[in-house]
Amino acid sequence: MKAETRNAVAAGAVLLALCAVPFITGKFTAYLTIRIMLLGIFAVGYNLLLGQTGLLSFGHGAFYAAGAYGLGLFGVHVSTHPLLGVAVGVAAAVLLALLVGYLCVRHTEIYFAMLTLACGMMVFSLVWNAREITGGDDGLIGIVRAPITLFGLADIPIARENHFYFFVLFFFALSVWAAHRIRRSPFGLALAGIRENARRSEFAGVPVRRYRLAAFVLSGAFAGLAGALEALLESNARPFMAHWTHSAEPVLVSLLGGLSSLTGPLVGGAIFVAMREIIQRFTENWMLWFGILLLVIILGFRGGVVGTVSALFRKATAPGEG
Amino acid sequence: MQSYVHVILAGLSSGMFIWLVASGLTLIFGVLGVLNFAHGSFYMLGAYCSFTVLKYLGAGYWAGLLLGPVGVCAAGFVVERFFLRHVYRLALPYQLLLTFAFVLIFDNLVKIVWGGGALSPPTLSFLGGTIPILGRNFPVYNLFIIAVGPAVALLLWALLEKTWYGRIIRASSSDREMAASLGVRVPALFTGVFVFGTWLGALGGGLAVPYVGLLTPGMGETIIIEAFIVAVIGGLGSLKGAFVGALVIGVLSAFGTRFFPAFDMFLIFILMAGVLLLRPQGLFGAAR
Amino acid sequence: MGEPLLSTEKLSNHFGKVCTALDLDLRFEPGVLTSIIGPNGAGKSTLINLLTGHLPVQAGKIRFQGRDITRLPIHERVRMGICRSFQVVNVFPELTVAQNVMIPVLARTGRAWRPIRRLSRETALMQETEAFLEKVSLLPERDTPATALSHGDLRLLEVGVALAAAPTLLFLDEPTAGMNPVERVRLLDNIRQLAREGRSTFVVVEHDMDVVFSLSERIIVLHRGEILCDGTPENVRADAKVREVYLGDDVSDLFRYREE
Repeated sequence: MKAETRNAVAAGAVLLALCAVPFITGKFTAYLTIRIMLLGIFAVGYNLLLGQTGLLSFGHGAFYAAGAYGLGLFGVHVSTHPLLGVAVGVAAAVLLALLVGYLCVRHTEIYFAMLTLACGMMVFSLVWNAREITGGDDGLIGIVRAPITLFGLADIPIARENHFYFFVLFFFALSVWAAHRIRRSPFGLALAGIRENARRSEFAGVPVRRYRLAAFVLSGAFAGLAGALEALLESNARPFMAHWTHSAEPVLVSLLGGLSSLTGPLVGGAIFVAMREIIQRFTENWMLWFGILLLVIILGFRGGVVGTVSALFRKATAPGEG
Repeated sequence: MQSYVHVILAGLSSGMFIWLVASGLTLIFGVLGVLNFAHGSFYMLGAYCSFTVLKYLGAGYWAGLLLGPVGVCAAGFVVERFFLRHVYRLALPYQLLLTFAFVLIFDNLVKIVWGGGALSPPTLSFLGGTIPILGRNFPVYNLFIIAVGPAVALLLWALLEKTWYGRIIRASSSDREMAASLGVRVPALFTGVFVFGTWLGALGGGLAVPYVGLLTPGMGETIIIEAFIVAVIGGLGSLKGAFVGALVIGVLSAFGTRFFPAFDMFLIFILMAGVLLLRPQGLFGAAR
Repeated sequence: MGEPLLSTEKLSNHFGKVCTALDLDLRFEPGVLTSIIGPNGAGKSTLINLLTGHLPVQAGKIRFQGRDITRLPIHERVRMGICRSFQVVNVFPELTVAQNVMIPVLARTGRAWRPIRRLSRETALMQETEAFLEKVSLLPERDTPATALSHGDLRLLEVGVALAAAPTLLFLDEPTAGMNPVERVRLLDNIRQLAREGRSTFVVVEHDMDVVFSLSERIIVLHRGEILCDGTPENVRADAKVREVYLGDDVSDLFRYREE
């Protein structure tokens, strides 16, 4: 079977399994799966910047927060229509990413990482301090999951956990598909070229700074989508979303799963959420174990889980030697 | 007038802690080329270790200040010698993430060993108390800190400019390969510099024990961000820049807390973003 | 004669106290295969860096097809038709040979902006890429990652990536460095063929006198940032100043060609 077809079949199977989750497992597992999907959207978009383009940003939580607060503020003050809310959240994230990206992409490597860190913390501090608008450290409350009205014709309720699950699943599938197509597109190849050799890309006629900005904004859009969906899930938006420790999550998760594949961040996200759940039963200090896992990955398994597994698979199925 | 002077003095003293952490960070970055996310953790560990010596070994403040940071140096040694050393040849993200992994590990280790709650150190007898300045009382300890900062700066300057060891450090930071081919044992040098940088950060933590009044596992997180900002504003790799930057940030932050409490953090970030935009190499950094 | 392809006016550059280019006034005519030679430190790579935008110009002007390009960023110069290959192999390591060559084609044909379109469906793109691979004899290696190539093939790829930008003026910086004689002949034949096709004008920086004298219609000799001699191979061979500078090994090489 060709690799393309095999991947499509696998994706289909995973999608089916995801559809089955709310029916065959309990409420809590469904909730966990939603959290995995949200982190998956965040990370898969983030990896377009890190794994594909080679830029390390420590401030993407700001766009996640923009999505959440964008939807939240829109919902509280204008309209509770969920699709509009999501659109506003994503738009807010995109605008912020455009602004931050424009300032940051002219710098490289370390300065880029630190600038994005600073920008993320700036947003955190802004959100924290603007109590009257954002609710400060109490978070923005009063976000409801109103039913989706489609042109006055149908009324799709999403308030119940199971219904909301499919709402999220829809966006998850859309995000993964979009990320897949972007990676395989001419644009994706140009980004890979920038990652491999930015100088040579210039000499190939690629306007590197513009493309980096585009990748930055795209990844910001994914972050905003995840943030908006989380706001709907938890019915609130919190300043922590913009904190650098939250910004570190897609980085860690992408590394854990594997930077160079589409599924890496998704697998990493699943492991992260699962680990957190399981270990938190035993100890408060689950991050300690995550830190150790990270060390192991960086020192020996930089391909991440997906990279290591596929390498093993290739070795096992390759023709034997001698 | 009185409040301005007090704010400036408060800013200078808080700035000195940032300077101590930033000095180690800058030294490590200048020579090893690595930005050590875990430096705030070393500061925190320094505070906790000094506190332990103070409280449980019954020794005096000075013993705590002396022994605490030394303990942290052991941690620094382990980090560089057995972990960081393997990632120098890798791309930047891996180095940053390795040190970040240690942030996670150390922060949680502290919670395990010392508990997650806040700890109160016993009050100082010797440098405790206040002294009136312009009619208002100002803690003597803070004045002590304002003196320690430049003392450390002077010490570092003397070390780097006047000693043989310092010359090697300066040479290696500008050209690693050349230094190695001249016979400098670069791996040993790197470990040495990293441990020394760790010591500076931990010293800052030890000195902070009487100043902060309350030790929490989160104290590393805030100071590392401030140290980053200082290092960037001053110029990554420039100790002079880190010193000036720390003073600026300290005083600015103090003014912010006093007069614009809602936006003090924000001001600092704006300053950093501004510096990076207008003068990317920082105030004293080498032009890129 | 007409408009020169590229001309410089008092182009100068210093690295601190070292002068790497001094008031250079050069003209490059279309279709004339030119070599730039000179001892180490003569400023050959600096000149190419200045002309292609790798190094910002400190003093002087550069004009391409009449337009002033002195301050133009690199990718704009490439768009206009100036490209270069590098002395040290500078390709996209983890990408395949085909992907390497495809990137300049993408950029040039304006296709790089499409984010959703499947790359595998872009047949015109693939055909063009394969045509370029053919020109540097690398078609059989199209799916090999660059990191797995032999040195000789890497140098071919190096030239191939530069060629794929379909430049009007192509600077090759020591294209045969480190190649064995067989590979060298192959690359030179390719260059000669491409020069004959007439789409790109080649300017080659070289150390190897064989290459220089067998390939070029015009030779520029640089020394300490200045033009020592500029003319046909015969002119250069006969020039006294050139002989003086090259006193030593290479002089015998120069004289060897008298017997041709």
